[in-house]
Amino acid sequence: MKRYILSVLAVVAMATSASTPSAQAVDPYARTQRWSNQVAAQRPWHGGYYYLPTGQPTALIVPPTAHMRQTLSWGVSQNLMYPLNHQFGRNASSPGALAPGSFQATPHWPSHTDQFGVYYVRGPW
Amino acid sequence: MRINRFLFVTMVASTVFSPLARSTDVEPVDHIVSSQVVSDEVVSGDSYTGDMGSCPAGSPCASGSNGVGQIGVGGFGGGLGSYIGDLARGGRAGDLSSCQPRTYGYPDLFYNYYTQGNCNSTNAQMYISPVPVPPNVGHTYITYQPFMAHEMLYQHKDRFHNYYDGGRGMNHTKVHYFAPPVKTAASNIYWNYLRIPR
Repeated sequence: MKRYILSVLAVVAMATSASTPSAQAVDPYARTQRWSNQVAAQRPWHGGYYYLPTGQPTALIVPPTAHMRQTLSWGVSQNLMYPLNHQFGRNASSPGALAPGSFQATPHWPSHTDQFGVYYVRGPW
Repeated sequence: MRINRFLFVTMVASTVFSPLARSTDVEPVDHIVSSQVVSDEVVSGDSYTGDMGSCPAGSPCASGSNGVGQIGVGGFGGGLGSYIGDLARGGRAGDLSSCQPRTYGYPDLFYNYYTQGNCNSTNAQMYISPVPVPPNVGHTYITYQPFMAHEMLYQHKDRFHNYYDGGRGMNHTKVHYFAPPVKTAASNIYWNYLRIPR
């Protein structure tokens, strides 16, 4: 009887350990991180517009766990979702800030959320 | 019976310790607070988006520096070798070639984060948070890495290492960034449902 109880307990313990949810087990080798880095290396983090208070495109820091951004524009087919690929890193990259006038101002009648000059960049891990 | 008991203990141990082991497996890269010279000197001839693009004439940023100073954040440019621990070098009788002086390293006062990639027309620095300030306002250094604001963005735990004494010593700080669930839920209800959008 004692052996039976112990066996049952062992099975229960094994089942519990196997079914413990792990939130990050879906990507144990961080492949999406590598994809994001590769994509971010080939695309700018900013659009062609500057943010009025700073005179430059301005990065809005979001948590590194954020995945997607949405852009809005006129028309039903212009609400688009893109992955958030860019992430702040330790490398000091060049060029730095461009001269004023290198970017466009927000139009008087904006037609796209990118035209406000604020762009998401994920914070570092 | 003894084998069975051992099996049970092993199972319980794996149950208790497996989440720990798993969390260390998949944790993001640890922050190694290294003891080497790290400064902003490499970008001292440039300015960043956070420095505000509109430089008034005659200001430091208009003359090419980043508003922080030509020698960089650490200020180590001209001060190499002037630390206390380096006083032991030289000036003594005897053969000091085999002696190891007591060093304190060159700790990382503050290092910024920058946007990455090869296709950027401009790059942004992450700090000063939450908003950039003009170069004549000044700068804020966050000298204790666990308190940096970007660590508060999400719930996680992190470890900060500092190796010293040629790798024989290691300082280890583990930090849990935690969001209280009730307060977070109440905040979510307010910001996502009750707040009037405007």
